[in-house]
Amino acid sequence: MKRTIVPLGPFHPLLEEAECYKLYVEGETVVDIDMRIGYMHRGIEKLSQSKTFDQVPFLVERICGICSTSHPIAYVNAMEDLAGIQIPERAQYIRNIIAELERLHSHFLWVGLAGHFIGYDTVFMWAWKYREPILDICELISGNRNHYAMMKIGGVRRDLKEEDFPQIRSMLDGVEKAANLFTGAVVDDPVIHARTKGVGILTKEDAIAYGTLGPTVRGSGIADDIRRDDPYAAYNKVDWNVITWEGGDVFAKAAVRLLENFESIKIIRQSLDQMRPGPIETEVKAIPPGEGVGHAEAPRGEVFHYVRSDGSSSPVRHKVRAPSFSNIPSFKATCVGETIADVALISAAVDPCYCCTERMAVVERRTDNVLMTGADLVRMSRERTKQIKADLGQETPLDKLAKRLQKGDL
Amino acid sequence: MSNSAALAAVKEKLPVKIIEIVEHNPARAYVYIEPEGIVEASRFMFEQCKGRLATVSGVDTRSGIDLLYHWMFARDHQFIMIKTKIKKPFPEIDSIATFLPAANWIERELNDILGVVFRGHPDPRRILMADDWPEGVHPLARDFEGIDKE
Repeated sequence: MKRTIVPLGPFHPLLEEAECYKLYVEGETVVDIDMRIGYMHRGIEKLSQSKTFDQVPFLVERICGICSTSHPIAYVNAMEDLAGIQIPERAQYIRNIIAELERLHSHFLWVGLAGHFIGYDTVFMWAWKYREPILDICELISGNRNHYAMMKIGGVRRDLKEEDFPQIRSMLDGVEKAANLFTGAVVDDPVIHARTKGVGILTKEDAIAYGTLGPTVRGSGIADDIRRDDPYAAYNKVDWNVITWEGGDVFAKAAVRLLENFESIKIIRQSLDQMRPGPIETEVKAIPPGEGVGHAEAPRGEVFHYVRSDGSSSPVRHKVRAPSFSNIPSFKATCVGETIADVALISAAVDPCYCCTERMAVVERRTDNVLMTGADLVRMSRERTKQIKADLGQETPLDKLAKRLQKGDL
Repeated sequence: MSNSAALAAVKEKLPVKIIEIVEHNPARAYVYIEPEGIVEASRFMFEQCKGRLATVSGVDTRSGIDLLYHWMFARDHQFIMIKTKIKKPFPEIDSIATFLPAANWIERELNDILGVVFRGHPDPRRILMADDWPEGVHPLARDFEGIDKE
């Protein structure tokens, strides 16, 4: 059969990473995949060497617009490891709250986009609507919907005000209701099952060999979570569970994310309850020479930072590794053998890049003729859902939810 | 200091000569080895100790390039850094991507930014730097002073 190359990318402006995927396809089946990154290489590691230790959190916060607080947390963890700094308890709880708010809004963003991909636009609109109150709380706490600038070496930059707590609690109640709604509808929906179960399976062995992280590895039944494995902030002071799901398919990864929302809500509630008035930072006089390793569990997996200091005021070397760098290579294991219509979904399940599909084009190798665009791929994915729905011949739980949402009786 | 099973296994059974072990704190240990032993040591960390390779950091120093293989042990709540120094100019070391797919991109990235050559790498293409970036120029090397844009 004739083999064709489908280039995906390289640019997708919404998220932090831009890659170019080349899908080698025979008919509709993907037989091989090749990836190339670096199109948005900004030289953050090099830039970091020209900043003072105290300025670096602002820089690394800008690595990603969605996990904008995970990088500063990993960096301050590394610096506190280097210099042996203990931070006050109140600062630990504040770090907890900020990190979990970020996870919540990131997972809601993902639910919406996944809904769009499989053809449930109502889910897309409403998931993003329910994401707004979370961002409002972020703004209330830090003055910004994203890029909170809360982390500093030795503590946090801003305190939480006691009078804001009721507002945060009522937001959590609303978000919990919404999370319940989506989780119930997705878990019972036969169309979602047909589209996602058994698709893009990442086996346990592959998950370990590729060193995958976050919901991607937990969806393969491996309980790997930095919050539990190397506790930072106040994660060892609150009661929560590491969510895993067996199977390794797209459904498992979706289930992990949906269920993690409830854990995040639990963590924030307990942190609010357990927080006592007190200092929010310890004074850091100087950073000694040495090296430190820090990491944090971002919504997509472990963010890793390594810092070396020579006793001056800037890092000599600052190494950063974001979770997608470890997750994306696993496409080699998950996409091969699947159809083009499912590849968009499989890559979305890892949560790296949706916009890449907007820039996707199918090109015939010999003539370079554009046969298909990114919009076509989304259309193919959505048509497939439609077909499954028609075969089923009945209203699905997600349809019912969409109708209720439209009527506004929720 | 630390009582983790992984570190105990490394101390007793690591199949290569250990130059020094520095236990920075109970959760972080640095194990210095010669670069020749890297494949054997990595195999041991991955296959016997069931570690996860978080990443490899490269640091250009006056006396050579430091490579730190960061192995995470979830059950022991511990990071073990296998640390080795390779000589300049023409830094070279054996690739571990031959048996560990997780190291594939990591080694390609190190080749781009520091010029470390990984012998036997299955796919040693450029990954991070732009296509029009000059050959042999590595942005995180000590002697890097920028490139002339024409």
